[in-house]
Amino acid sequence: MNLQFIVDGLISGSLIGLGAIGITLTYSILRFSNFAHGDFMAWGAYGTLSVIAAIGALVGTTAPIGALSFGWPLIAATLIGMILTACLALLLDWLLFARLRDKGQSIIVVMASFGASMALRSLLEFIFTSSPTYFSRGIQMAIPIGLGIRITPDQMVMLATTVILVTAMHLFMSRSQTGREMRAYSQNPALARVVGIDTARVVRATWIIGAALACAAGVMVGILVQIRPLMGLDLLLPMFAAAILGGIGSVPGAVLGGLIIGLSEAAAVQLIGAEWRAAIAFAILMAVLLVRPMGLFGRAER
Amino acid sequence: MIDLLGYGAFFMSSALIFGLIALGLNLQWGQTGLFNVGIAGFVAIGAYTSAILTTPDTADRIGGFDWPILAGWLAAAFVTAAAAAFTGFATLRLKSDYLAITTFGVAVVVQLVALNAQSLTGGPFGVAFIPRPFASLQDQPALFNFINLGVIAAVTIAVYLALEHLSRSPWGRVLKALREDERAAISLGKSARSYRIQAFAAGGAVMGLAGAVQAHFIGFIAPNGYLPTLTFQVWAMLMVGGSGSNRGAILGSVVVWAIWVGAGAFSAAVVPGDWQARAASLQIVAIGVMLCLILLWRPQGFFGPNGFLGKRRS
Amino acid sequence: MSILDVPILDVRGLIAGYEPGLSIVKGASIHADEKEIVVILGPNGAGKSSFIKAIAGLVPITGGEVLLDGKDITYGAAHLRVRQGLAFVPQTENIFPLMTVEENLRVAGGVLPRAEVQSRIDEAYTMFPDLARQRKLAAGSLSGGQRQMLAVGRALIVHPRVLMLDEPSAGLSPKFVEMVFTRLNEIRRAGLTIVLVEQNARAALAIGDRAYVLVEGREAHEGRAATLWDDPVVAELYLGQRRHA
Repeated sequence: MNLQFIVDGLISGSLIGLGAIGITLTYSILRFSNFAHGDFMAWGAYGTLSVIAAIGALVGTTAPIGALSFGWPLIAATLIGMILTACLALLLDWLLFARLRDKGQSIIVVMASFGASMALRSLLEFIFTSSPTYFSRGIQMAIPIGLGIRITPDQMVMLATTVILVTAMHLFMSRSQTGREMRAYSQNPALARVVGIDTARVVRATWIIGAALACAAGVMVGILVQIRPLMGLDLLLPMFAAAILGGIGSVPGAVLGGLIIGLSEAAAVQLIGAEWRAAIAFAILMAVLLVRPMGLFGRAER
Repeated sequence: MIDLLGYGAFFMSSALIFGLIALGLNLQWGQTGLFNVGIAGFVAIGAYTSAILTTPDTADRIGGFDWPILAGWLAAAFVTAAAAAFTGFATLRLKSDYLAITTFGVAVVVQLVALNAQSLTGGPFGVAFIPRPFASLQDQPALFNFINLGVIAAVTIAVYLALEHLSRSPWGRVLKALREDERAAISLGKSARSYRIQAFAAGGAVMGLAGAVQAHFIGFIAPNGYLPTLTFQVWAMLMVGGSGSNRGAILGSVVVWAIWVGAGAFSAAVVPGDWQARAASLQIVAIGVMLCLILLWRPQGFFGPNGFLGKRRS
Repeated sequence: MSILDVPILDVRGLIAGYEPGLSIVKGASIHADEKEIVVILGPNGAGKSSFIKAIAGLVPITGGEVLLDGKDITYGAAHLRVRQGLAFVPQTENIFPLMTVEENLRVAGGVLPRAEVQSRIDEAYTMFPDLARQRKLAAGSLSGGQRQMLAVGRALIVHPRVLMLDEPSAGLSPKFVEMVFTRLNEIRRAGLTIVLVEQNARAALAIGDRAYVLVEGREAHEGRAATLWDDPVVAELYLGQRRHA
């Protein structure tokens, strides 16, 4: 077996994992499965693309950094895109989700997220059409790193970025006051209010973090593959499966779940063919639900 | 004039097939509170089952068993019910979100199988030459349209009456109790789960039957007929009609299908060619926004028992 | 209480319930003065727990007033009440089980200046040395009595003026009940006002100054804690029911 699947799997796994962090936080804190989360990825990627265009119009063309396919405008644009995506999530919460949450039926919120997802995705198709687009059309040379494995400079940087983001997230959740408040709220919302936690702030933080990470993941998909309005929808099932496999509410679990799914998918592509890739996440999801529904790091649902 | 009537019959036939799917969804969601995001997948299972069983033998595909149409429909309902029952079995002891995610996955996988299991499903080209009921009348288009409408209306009415009867039966009353009173659900314990699985399977059977009826109405199926948009349309139909009401499910389907077809015809006439695809996207945006607005302001829908009277607001 | 004094906690004609039109608390009034322990008693289903939760901001209030030190906080959010000095310890699920003991304390210090949080946590450890030994343990692994201590210690982190507790002795062994009430008495002597709802009337009245009997969502009687037990009216209202039961 060609070991190349390890690199491919780690990369798609980190993208799935980054997205799954948002899913798992939304589920454990806002208490619903957000079907629009994938669309935050797509919106983040398109938003970043638009900001790059704006930067390009202002300062002209810029050279890429080293052997990478992109230059500083992409980095700056991604940061702005993360803010924009967070604003989109907060807007959606204010218009839709918060109002339905107050009515107390969580499955109605899930349905609303499904409707919002359709609308968001089609709106992207309306604005940008459904044909794929790219951050850069240049071809990158893959560097051999031994054992028959090759990796491009872009891929290396994306892996490193994922490690940094996930470590930062983990430290944030375990060490910062906001992270503690988010964990407290996810364990017992009423008690969180009793101990003086501003729950509106926790909800805001959850949306901001989830959406910003979704945008980062969306940009990475855009750099490594392509940008399409459907890119988020295609990743939705793997992200849900990763969040459930890792154990709902667990940030390291979501990332580990993402890596397991990414690696399984990459292995399956080699063994049974690329066309069945999307079925792997479903197979893992069913196995987890039947055998250990609380996931690897999860606790039993109350 | 006869053309217009013929088109009317064609329109109503399509609308009633949606009505049939919406009836299945109403049993799952409206009566039992089970959230299905993979409607398209279950409809596709029914459509492909019947298509494979009833088409004449072909060289390039497994299947083509040349069964009678009615047998194909029954098999479609049965196979889809089994798929729904398994989905329910795996998820219904967990929080409702897991069912939603899993049904979403079912739709993804069914789509994948339809596309890739070429020897069974014909791949992207789908299955053609699905026998149509009363095909001998095909050379008289108007009459044929009306006969089709008659067949579809008969199936819809039969399913409607059966569901109405079910919802008033002791079984239906247990479902209602399960949905409205969490304590009742807990006191029923394990059997609560089994009631929910039964309801989910029965709803799946109706969806599978609808998929089969549609396949035989059009005579041709392909994977792109079962995209998430279908799921979404049916949800909009049930929510407009009023979830919980079988009458609302059917009326909502006719109304939303009319809006959908009307908006399509309007944009085809008004929007220049290269913008057509974009206009079609806006159609979906509009339905998505409508679904959200209904959830926010009129969760009881428009055509159910609480529709025009507006007695209850939740 | 003289007429000129403003009670530190003054609840007037409170109406509250989870659903509109279905009030559980139907016009109850109590007040508590500085350094006072006020006990709320009542038969099962009298609405004691909903009453104290409504004061804490956890049950929607539809009428009446809650004044803290003369300030109207009736419709303030629960987390703001804590910041204004009204702390509450729920009866059950009163700790975050998946966080460590120390994190449980720290999470309540969000409104304090960063530098002060550690000294407040140390105060809690001084008061409950058991907690200091288990600071790194998941709170979910603590015994019932230790959980109660953690919950009380956490409520005190912000130095509230009024501490409200919902049945602090429920489910505890007699040894722990005694310890909890001894601690509450110490806390009061240190300057806090305490309001507690209790089933364990004898233990509560032993440290209480004043007591109310809540019946059907209203206060039906008020009296000195020391003599309440023998009051024939109370026997009729509550203790009588209990003795017959």
